[in-house]
Amino acid sequence: MAGATALLSLLIVASFYPGVTNGGILRFEGTWLPQLGLNFTLRMDGFAWLFSMLIAGIGFLVVVYARYYMSEDDPVPRFFSFLLAFMGAMLGIVISGNVILLSVFWELTSIFSFLLISYWHNNAAARDGARMALTITGIGGFCLLIGLLLIGNIVGSYDLDKILAAGDVIRGHSLYVPALVFILLGALTKSAQFPFHFWLPNAMAAPTPVSAFLHSATMVKAGVFLLVRFWPALSGTYEWFYLVGLAGIVTLVLGAYFAMFQQDLKGLLAYSTISHLGLITTLLSLGSPLATVAAIFHMVNHATFKASLFMAAGIIDHETGTRDMRRLSGLFRYLPITGTLAMVASAAMAGVPLLNGFLSKEMFFAEAVETHADSILDRILPYVATLASAFSVAYSLRFIHTVFFGPPPVDLPKPKPHEPPRWMRFPIDLLVVACLIVGIIPAISIGPFLHTAVISVLGPDTPEYSLSIWHGVNLPLIMSAIALVGGALLYFALRKYLATCEDGPPILRNLKGQRIFERILVEVSWRWARTLERRFGTRNLQPQLRWVVATGFLAGLLPLYLSGFETRDIAFSGIDPAFAAIWLLGICLAFGTAYLAKYHRLAALVMLGGVGLIVCVTFVWLSAPDLAITQLLVEIVTTVLILLGLRWLPKRTEGLAESITLRARFRRFRDLALAVVCGIGMSFIAYAVMTMPVPDAIANYFLANAYSEGGGRNVVNVILVDFRGFDTLGEIAVLGVVALTVFALLRRFRPADDSMDLPEQQRIQNRFDEDRPERSAGDTVRDYLLVPSVIMTWLFPVIITFAVYIFMRGHDLPGGGFSAGLTLSIAFLLQYLAGGTRWAEDRIRILPLRWMGAGILTASATGIGAWFFGYPFLTSHFQYVELPLIGKMPAATALLFDLGVFSLVVGSTVLILVALAHQSIRINRLRAIDAARTEEG
Amino acid sequence: MELVLSTAIGVMTGCGVWLILRPRTYQVIVGLSLLSYAVNLFIFGVGGVKTNVPPILVDGVPTSVLADPVPQALVLTAIVIGFATTALFLVVLLASRGLTGTDHVDGRNEPK
Amino acid sequence: MIGWAHHLIIAPILVPLVVAALLLFFDERQRVAKAMISLASTLILVAVSLALLRVESGPNDFDGVYLLGNWAAPFGIVLVLDALSALMLLLTALLSVAALVFSLARWHAVGAHFHTMFQLLLVGLNGAFLTGDLFNLFVFFEVMLAASYGLLLHGSGPLRVKAGMHYIAVNLAAALLFLIGVSLIYGTAGTLNMADLAARIPDIEPDRRMLMEAGAGVLGIAFLIKAGMWPLCFWLPTAYSAASAPVAGIFAIMSKLGIYVILRLTMLLFGDGPSAGFGSDVLLYGGIATIIFGTIGVLASQALGRLAGFSVLVSSGTLLMVLGINDGAISSGALLYLVSSTLTISAFFMLIELVERGQDAGAIVLAVTMEAYGDADEDEPEEGDGVTMPGTMAILGICFAACGILLSGLPPLSGFIAKFAMLSAMMGTGAIGVPPTAAVWVLVSLVILSGIAALISMTRAGIRTFWSSLEGTVPRVLVIEIVPVMFLLFLTLALTVQAGPAMQYMDTTIRSLSNPRIYIDAVRNAAAVPDYDGVSSTEAGAK
Repeated sequence: MAGATALLSLLIVASFYPGVTNGGILRFEGTWLPQLGLNFTLRMDGFAWLFSMLIAGIGFLVVVYARYYMSEDDPVPRFFSFLLAFMGAMLGIVISGNVILLSVFWELTSIFSFLLISYWHNNAAARDGARMALTITGIGGFCLLIGLLLIGNIVGSYDLDKILAAGDVIRGHSLYVPALVFILLGALTKSAQFPFHFWLPNAMAAPTPVSAFLHSATMVKAGVFLLVRFWPALSGTYEWFYLVGLAGIVTLVLGAYFAMFQQDLKGLLAYSTISHLGLITTLLSLGSPLATVAAIFHMVNHATFKASLFMAAGIIDHETGTRDMRRLSGLFRYLPITGTLAMVASAAMAGVPLLNGFLSKEMFFAEAVETHADSILDRILPYVATLASAFSVAYSLRFIHTVFFGPPPVDLPKPKPHEPPRWMRFPIDLLVVACLIVGIIPAISIGPFLHTAVISVLGPDTPEYSLSIWHGVNLPLIMSAIALVGGALLYFALRKYLATCEDGPPILRNLKGQRIFERILVEVSWRWARTLERRFGTRNLQPQLRWVVATGFLAGLLPLYLSGFETRDIAFSGIDPAFAAIWLLGICLAFGTAYLAKYHRLAALVMLGGVGLIVCVTFVWLSAPDLAITQLLVEIVTTVLILLGLRWLPKRTEGLAESITLRARFRRFRDLALAVVCGIGMSFIAYAVMTMPVPDAIANYFLANAYSEGGGRNVVNVILVDFRGFDTLGEIAVLGVVALTVFALLRRFRPADDSMDLPEQQRIQNRFDEDRPERSAGDTVRDYLLVPSVIMTWLFPVIITFAVYIFMRGHDLPGGGFSAGLTLSIAFLLQYLAGGTRWAEDRIRILPLRWMGAGILTASATGIGAWFFGYPFLTSHFQYVELPLIGKMPAATALLFDLGVFSLVVGSTVLILVALAHQSIRINRLRAIDAARTEEG
Repeated sequence: MELVLSTAIGVMTGCGVWLILRPRTYQVIVGLSLLSYAVNLFIFGVGGVKTNVPPILVDGVPTSVLADPVPQALVLTAIVIGFATTALFLVVLLASRGLTGTDHVDGRNEPK
Repeated sequence: MIGWAHHLIIAPILVPLVVAALLLFFDERQRVAKAMISLASTLILVAVSLALLRVESGPNDFDGVYLLGNWAAPFGIVLVLDALSALMLLLTALLSVAALVFSLARWHAVGAHFHTMFQLLLVGLNGAFLTGDLFNLFVFFEVMLAASYGLLLHGSGPLRVKAGMHYIAVNLAAALLFLIGVSLIYGTAGTLNMADLAARIPDIEPDRRMLMEAGAGVLGIAFLIKAGMWPLCFWLPTAYSAASAPVAGIFAIMSKLGIYVILRLTMLLFGDGPSAGFGSDVLLYGGIATIIFGTIGVLASQALGRLAGFSVLVSSGTLLMVLGINDGAISSGALLYLVSSTLTISAFFMLIELVERGQDAGAIVLAVTMEAYGDADEDEPEEGDGVTMPGTMAILGICFAACGILLSGLPPLSGFIAKFAMLSAMMGTGAIGVPPTAAVWVLVSLVILSGIAALISMTRAGIRTFWSSLEGTVPRVLVIEIVPVMFLLFLTLALTVQAGPAMQYMDTTIRSLSNPRIYIDAVRNAAAVPDYDGVSSTEAGAK
């Protein structure tokens, strides 16, 4: 199935060949985000074609191979779906004609490779390897995106063709260097170039087919692919040469050097891959057309032989159960065919004549020899090249020699290795044959395809190059001879040591890029972040409120300060002494509250109430009767609520274990200062705004039209129920939802243990009762409340009528639904106080929820009513009607609306009060539960 | 008058701020109530300070002299909402007291 | 007379309000009925907001001004529907459907009156998005907040109560600031209507204007607290991660409400005229600080919940920063980002609850409270009913990966598109050869870095959650729990595929915003419906 898909895509790609020969380009345009120049453009030219062939072809082989490699108990479907998805993304990179689209596919390959590497996610190495691969390549991808955006900025388009055409503009631009750096970061991370090479060996924890596909043919090739892609646009400058060249050469040598000292087969192959990629990069850095030809050629060759080698390693692993070269030896007698294939492939890797590796290596030498830019880097290149290839000869030799020759292996995990099934070996056969063909008759076999690819990259300035084995005795040939001999010698020199030494090269063994990376990652992304979060954040309330207050203060005062605001000079005239006296008291009370709130809650509450009363007086005084009434009622209810609540708070006696540290002192001082400045600032602004009359406010309109349009004399009330009735609707919604919250929360309320038992007074009284036989517990409580309770009971109807009265007059005189509602609920409250919860509920059944629902519905219905007359929501209508007894009174729809308000207010307030009052009943039940528990345990 | 009123507002704000920065839940709720008094007076004062001209239309009284009704309406709404939220906060602090066994705002036991 | 279609504007507020009221008449035990009603209302909301979006972006210019009580602006309260508010309404509706469906699995049964509060939350949100009046905005903020208090505390438990107390305390302080700001503005400008205010600003004499700006500043703080700007944001991760999953899912839009208001007001009041650009620096630097803090938090947080909370901060920070720059192209990219990140985070919050099943803190707390109360029996969340998801782990994993990709802005999902839109705008693509300034580099690197941080910490978390445990207990996940998550993620996918049209909408939105005159004139010229007998309605009344 998967194989079929791969094969199909291979065929499709192949079918495009006619279109792309000698520089033709196939394009497919699809709009995606045209405003930003991001389009779904696919573009296939010769180079892309060659590469897609590579991807699809090797993909197909890998699928076939994996079919036999994977064991039954692995979730195989997942594997193949990821593999194909990755293949798709890879093809996407190759053929996308819009650079942003390219970066999209780029990141996709990172993601899928993450999933593939971590396929055996039960093993920690796989997880870490995968994570590192993702982190590095992902970050690289982000860098690439930035670079491409910069290119887009320079060229003014993300279209690949336009960019390739604008090479000179780009190179000349001031943004060239940053763009180059970012793109290189992307490319080098992807193809594991120094100093980002270390993720690749760790990625070897992946299943071997994955390594064979990703880490030989495709993913790591994406980086160099990108370099070739942008070669026409970016290359040929000094920066290009240095950045790319340095990375390439260092990688080339280091990779080869490391590879020699690996004990893990795949480790060896991984490092050799790194070094070969380094070789390609170096070639590209040279910026000469011929070098580019060599680079492209070597990409292909490397893909073929490295893929086959990985698969061979996989077979060995599969058959023997280990990849450790210290344990493997003399396998040739078990795996003759695989052995032969592996030998040929690794010979290609080493660059032995008559194999494809040899050709491209020759080209490389040729390029290395002739100097381009005159610099040290360039002078040393030939020697470096020879050295590196000597290394590569050495490790290739080692690979073959240790694994297949020597004494028969001892204590293998799987004792009897034998040749794998035919189809598992088939891909290797194919690839190795390819190596041979290309190696022997290059001009006929690979020649034309290579030419197509090269033309599409280099265009007109395609150089003359000859793909033939024999160029006569020239420097390159000598160099490779040296390399071959030197490599062989080197290997046999190191042999003894290698057979025993542990993993990694002698000196650099202990400095592992991966370790450093991990440590840095943890350090930065974990420890530092932790400390920083603790430093700049908090989970406590006080600092947060401190910030809120401070910022609020600044936000208010800073603009004034910056714009040099000064208030009118303060006028002491016209201060009513009585008023001033009242507020003097009020101020004292406020201070008292602030001072006592900690230890003497009740006193503080009383003083708070005092302040509230003075506020009421102020309202009356300054001609706001409505406010006064409402404030008064609210004051009462709030106080009762808090009284009910106080009972559950812990006892706190002065001078308890309150060791005031220096920090605490400082904190208090800071808070005090903040409080003081806020107070001053507030009064400053208040004074400023009070002394400046409100400009032609909407108020005048309300005053003028309240009666004529709203049909009420009490303008405030008219505003509330008519002009701005919508506010009121929202307001009652708030009240309602709060009531519900309180109810829901208190059903779960569990008092702290130390406030579980009865309050002290009550205990005293009960004791008093228990002393006297004729009294039962609780009588006293009832008795000493007798008289007031009777009165309160009588008061009930009175208050109700009062409430109705307030409600009715609301539209013309101070009052209205809200105050009426509060009054009524106070009536209920009194009943609770008087007779206790049970008594009250026996007599008056109130269903607060119903009241609330009805309230909101009435209000909304009143509003919706207007629709039927073709008016917007809440349009009011009124007329005066003659009622018996009461007389002429307004019957405005606003009144109906107010009724809704009334009903909801009653409902919510009662709900809250009842919920709180019930606690003292529920607590008995809780005590019962606890008692039961204690008996059990 | 303005002077007295603004001083009062300032003082109440100061006390309120001081209280909400204290570690005990009860102090915070008292502080919030004080602050809401202050803010209500502030809104009210914005409309200008006039004595015994309540915004209630009486025939023969020119509307121009009456106090500004809008801030009063706003204050009314503010009072109601303030009442509601105070009640809520009260219950929440009770619940937290019940669940954590302490009345510290961060539910910590040792006095901060 | 006005057509019924016009009443559609107010529907997003009225429908949930009425439904909430209706729900009060049902007993706690009639849970199914409640759920159905409430679900119906959210579905209606989706339909309504879609309709509004269509008429709004339709060819014939739709009169989006609704005069409540038939009082012409600035005297009455107006609702204004424009491209931006329509977008936000739709977003809210979609989230609400997802969150509600999710809650039906168990959460809605955990405490009392879940559905009522949920509906009232929607009332608050929609009202705040629609209203064109400052004080009315305050009222709806309060509705939303009150409901959110209730929902945050829904399910009780020490964690929630503590988080709730902090959240409430901070927001009460914010509300007071809000009041101060509004009253200052009224006192100096003499109006509460936004459009009217914007129109009046030019002819406010200097000293008044200074006070007015002070008021605006104080007001701004109130919104920034909601939007979660550093250093006013510490409550946010705690509160969001403490909230029950569906609640957190819907909360994802609340921090965006703060952003919305700031965007609206800055564009309207300080777009041009004497106090142009007021406070934009604060937004810029505040935004930068917020991104940094959020990123640090994302890296530092071990619990998935906090991680999500901090990614809320990152997204708010990014948006604030963009608002600070106030450049058209970037802003429209940012709008796309807003939508995408809201969907993502909402989905993520719900997903977290699913993957953390088993060691679910909420459930434990619940259990505790259960055994504490003999009377809480009707609150037991019934597991059991409903179909469990086949192949749970795989689907959860895929969803998680999608969230990670979206949060870190990796291709191909909308997270990438949005970031690309912003970045390319910042880089000034098209303006050929203009090198980006140092400031731009800072912004770009911040956006990228936050993405990388998300990537690192999401992979870490994902590996820990899905792979580290050899025999992981597969959580029981009901279909109606995972489907909402997939639904939201699917939306982001759709957003990706339809990036072109979406981006177009955002562009038009920003363009209309950056020309406040349209808005102002629309509101000021909206005429009240005349009484059809022509007589003033003193006697005989209007109808």
